[in-house]
Amino acid sequence: MPEQYAIEMRGITKTFGSVVANNNINLNLRQGEILALLGENGSGKTTLMNMLSGIYAPDAGEILINGQPVSITSPEDSKKLGIGMVHQHFKLVDVFSAADNIWMGREKSGFALRGNRFAEIEDMAHKFGFDLDPRKKVCNMAVSEKQTLEIIKVLYYGAKIIILDEPTAVLTVQEIEKLFAVLRRMKEEGHSIIIITHKLNEVMEISDRVAILRKGEYITTVNTAETNEQALTDWMVGRKIDLNIDRPVVETTRPLLEIRDLTIKNDEGAVAIDKVSFYIRGGEILGVAGIAGCGQKELCEAIAGLRPIQSGLMIHKGDNIVGLPPKAILEKGISMSFIPEDRLGMGLAPSLSITDNMILKNYASTPGPFVDRKSGREDAQRVIDELEVVTPSTETPVRRLSGGNVQKVLLGREIKAGPNVIVTAYPVRGLDINSSYAIYDILNQQKKSGVGILFVGEDLDVMLALCDKIMVLCHGRVMGVVHAHKTSKEELGLMMTGALDLTGKYEDKPAGIARDTNITEEHLNSTHEEGSN
Amino acid sequence: MGIHIVKRDACPLWKKALFYLAAVAAALVVCGILLLAMGVNPLTYYSRMFTMGMVGNKIAYKTFENYLNVFVPLALTSVALSLAFKMRFWNIGGEGQFIVGAIAASTVALKLKPPIVVALNNSEFSFSVSFGPILSELITLVLMCLAAMLAAGLYGALVAALKVKFGTNETLLTLMLNYVALYTLTFLGDKKADWNFFLQEESARPVFQSFSDTAAFPRIMLGKFGLNICVILTLIIGVLVFVYLRYTKRGYEINVVGDSAGTAHYAGMKVNRIVLRTVFLSACLIGLAAAFKMGTTGVLSTTITGDVGWTGIIVAWLAQLNTAAIFVVSALISMLHYGSVQANTMFSNVDSSFANMLQGVILFLVLTADFFIRFRIVRTKKGGNQ
Amino acid sequence: MELNKLDVISTFIYNIVLYNIPLLYGTVGEIVVEKSGSLNLGVEGIMAVGAIFGYVIGCYTNSLLVGILTAFAMGALMGLLFAALTVSLQANQNITGLTLTTFGLGVYFFVGNAIKSVGWPTMSNYSNIKNGFADLHIPLLSDIPIIGKGLFSHNILVYLGIAIAVCMWCYLKHTTPGLRLRAVGENPGSADSVGINIKRYKYLHIMLGCGIMGIGGYYMGLNMSGSFNSACWINGYGWIAVALVIFANWSPALAILGTFVFGFFNTLRVSGSSLAIAFPEALGWLAKVPTQLYQALPFIITALVLFFSSISKRKNSGLPAALGLNYFREER
Repeated sequence: MPEQYAIEMRGITKTFGSVVANNNINLNLRQGEILALLGENGSGKTTLMNMLSGIYAPDAGEILINGQPVSITSPEDSKKLGIGMVHQHFKLVDVFSAADNIWMGREKSGFALRGNRFAEIEDMAHKFGFDLDPRKKVCNMAVSEKQTLEIIKVLYYGAKIIILDEPTAVLTVQEIEKLFAVLRRMKEEGHSIIIITHKLNEVMEISDRVAILRKGEYITTVNTAETNEQALTDWMVGRKIDLNIDRPVVETTRPLLEIRDLTIKNDEGAVAIDKVSFYIRGGEILGVAGIAGCGQKELCEAIAGLRPIQSGLMIHKGDNIVGLPPKAILEKGISMSFIPEDRLGMGLAPSLSITDNMILKNYASTPGPFVDRKSGREDAQRVIDELEVVTPSTETPVRRLSGGNVQKVLLGREIKAGPNVIVTAYPVRGLDINSSYAIYDILNQQKKSGVGILFVGEDLDVMLALCDKIMVLCHGRVMGVVHAHKTSKEELGLMMTGALDLTGKYEDKPAGIARDTNITEEHLNSTHEEGSN
Repeated sequence: MGIHIVKRDACPLWKKALFYLAAVAAALVVCGILLLAMGVNPLTYYSRMFTMGMVGNKIAYKTFENYLNVFVPLALTSVALSLAFKMRFWNIGGEGQFIVGAIAASTVALKLKPPIVVALNNSEFSFSVSFGPILSELITLVLMCLAAMLAAGLYGALVAALKVKFGTNETLLTLMLNYVALYTLTFLGDKKADWNFFLQEESARPVFQSFSDTAAFPRIMLGKFGLNICVILTLIIGVLVFVYLRYTKRGYEINVVGDSAGTAHYAGMKVNRIVLRTVFLSACLIGLAAAFKMGTTGVLSTTITGDVGWTGIIVAWLAQLNTAAIFVVSALISMLHYGSVQANTMFSNVDSSFANMLQGVILFLVLTADFFIRFRIVRTKKGGNQ
Repeated sequence: MELNKLDVISTFIYNIVLYNIPLLYGTVGEIVVEKSGSLNLGVEGIMAVGAIFGYVIGCYTNSLLVGILTAFAMGALMGLLFAALTVSLQANQNITGLTLTTFGLGVYFFVGNAIKSVGWPTMSNYSNIKNGFADLHIPLLSDIPIIGKGLFSHNILVYLGIAIAVCMWCYLKHTTPGLRLRAVGENPGSADSVGINIKRYKYLHIMLGCGIMGIGGYYMGLNMSGSFNSACWINGYGWIAVALVIFANWSPALAILGTFVFGFFNTLRVSGSSLAIAFPEALGWLAKVPTQLYQALPFIITALVLFFSSISKRKNSGLPAALGLNYFREER
């Protein structure tokens, strides 16, 4: 008799347009265990869990709960099956009180809204070991309070299977301990739990088994007791493969772009980048490694002038670019191409043709009232030819291209403008091998011509082969800047998870500060004045 | 079981066209059944409606002139609205902007004195220079248009300014301003007073003053048929707007802002200024439509808009904001409206409001077709328990 | 003489209530719809459809109740159309609403003229309708001087309208389905994730709200004694209702107050002159105010409310955060 699992997912496939988010995934959750779901960003963890919570419907595959095949077509179905999910982006109604956020999903809550619901929910929260002010409105809550509320909510609905999507990211150490205590108690009471997390130490601490996804594919499931952080990292990022990417040696120039003590907040108002310092020289590629959501996006946006910074300096060839409008930064030759998770959010106008997207940044530079589409079309054709973009024509809306081709168009445009600093994030995400190599070649050519490149990447093998130096971020802080030919994947993996901090390694040489810096006393003083205001 | 809806990546043009044609055909059938139920042969009715009763009519040219007078303001207003809609600015204040434009145009038409005559008189020598009627007519008409455009443009830009500055909801605000304009107009049409030059002085009852002939747009006579110059101007403006949107930098900016404001910002565009400028232009063109209407009818009225501010929204949407398509759709919708009035003379039991119903049903079915163009229904393979 | 003056005031109050409660129906209906996150600009058309069917069928059956139910059902049917297009077919709400107005007015005139061509039912011939719509004097309260007649001596639809407004206020504020409805309008993603059936909530409440509007339309028809001519019975009240929703900050209770404020101006337009004659010293100036100012005031006030609430960005605004946005679960 086969083992009866709490959840069994068989052959789950989910695509969004041409993007395969989950490909033929099999996942089992045992009764009463804590399963950690591990994987890099874009590996399809959240998509997979959203199919359990009823947000997405799978394109193919089947789901079994307690051995019974089920059809989950809505969150309502999911809730009835005893599945509760704590989403990473809180699903709370801002103008409601804590109690009402829970009450609204309660079964058999009666017609009248009674005043004693506050007390009832407060009692319930206490029972689970949480403090909760039931009358407090969500919009007045701190991030950790919202998280707590979400967890209480799921518990309150009596879910037997609980999914937590990166629950610890916003909690303090003490709160994490509390949460883990709760999870353990729930496990003892017979709940089955899936926890998505990037922090390997937490995986080791809390989970019974670990399931690993990579690039939308299911890799394996192992017992936590029989594995270690090193093995998990290997599964997560993949075995080292010899990529044979060129790393031409180019004579570097003085620092082109210097970042000093930069602090940036994210959309939620939390610190995304915390006192980060680094520099890029002409003729080098600086890689930025880190687990998703470590502030990469905010960093790129700040350099491009799209996001206000809290404090710090950004010096380009000796000029401070802090506070300049995006257009002025563009004109200085700093180009940013950022492939956000939805691929089309920033940098491209999806409904417009390739030609129209080609001219996005320089349409205003030609004389006269008309847009010069002729040269735009030529550029588009050149990008299509050189990067082998698969498209019916230059007039095809970008929206219709596959993900990889969209990226080629975006990068092609950035390079065409002849920048001196290129900020590129995930430029090969979703690309096949050949087009990836085409992109690396382009970047190397740019490097040879003296451009400084900031390469925000995901694939450590690629970064090790392509980049000259690699800066590792962990939760908005620099863990160190290492030479690519002197480091190893293992070392990077440990730094990414926060287990290794190299910033204090060389006391005489602070990480991220160039010896021949362009930053003058005057610059530094200006920040002090701002700071004192 | 196991069915869910996903977004479509692309839909070929022929398929789109087929869906829309099917929607229009279905709408005609649905309303045809209604006609049948009323004992009217739908085929006869539709043919009467779409020919607007011109077949076998001795004064068919007159009918066609009138039809064009319905068509011009609608087409121009729809084109104007499409500019704002392209940026996802919900200007539903076409009615109000039209009225403000009409009032401004009337002010010019009524206030501008008849031919300017400079005369020098003395005993031995008499000399007079007269700017002939041609010139003064031109000046009057141009001033009418400019005044209407400026007034309407500012009325629209006011909302855009509040929207970009404070985030005021433009849908609801333009809606409110429609009525402020409407009641201002009815006030002017109702209040007998010395200052109120909009009304006839000689009449005891409040009646709007008609313009002098200098404030009427000239017509090009093609036999008996008089082609109002506004028709030509509207077509020219249509082409200009098409060129503006398609080939100019400003048009390009509109497209980018409408498609993704984040990207526009990233590319260094001043999004707020673009919104402000485009809404001003959009409202200006609505004002121009009002000036055309005023220069054709020659007299204000409280129903001067002919609901083009409302219908224009529907036309712009039906035409998917495509400038060329807007002309086709507004020609059809004008035909529907004007034709149903003509058909009413033959089928007295079918009210001319049939056109409004038909228009509604067409749009409902086109919206339905739109769903199948944007989304796909897929079955989940090998899943679920039936 | 004094008595006459009191009569004028009393009649004035009476008229405020009589002629403006339809506005309350429209407003409360629209509040219910908007609280589900749907901006329905079809109020005018929905009220017109409710009015014409309610009136004709009510007369044919000689029953006020059937008239009310028909008006409700036809309004709800229009709501079903709106819901099907915007909720299931993801159509743009502004366009659908505006088309519903055009369509509804088309149906109103089309049906009305069709009935007229076979013989228009005159209200006075239908005793049950006429009597049913007559004023009901509430014992004791209606005997209070001045305000008694003005407030407590009205037809049944006035009381029904107030009752619906109060019920809807209670429903939204003090019931669990009301709480869920507000959640749907605020953040459909949240509501969906806790298992609230978004589609069902939207469909039901759009239909309920539109049904209430339909009754309001029927009331307007009865107020005009059912005389059918080239001007629609609704006469722009649907649009005032849309404005009043904003003025009332999406609260049915405040909508009652708002109805009195807007109704006050409306009534000044009609009976301002009689006040001016009765109180020449104090209110003589009323005769000089153009009636159009009263007509425009609701819209001017609402525009100002919109403006000020946008600059103050106040947090207690009743504006549903997801108003006007369609919800598609698989959106990424």
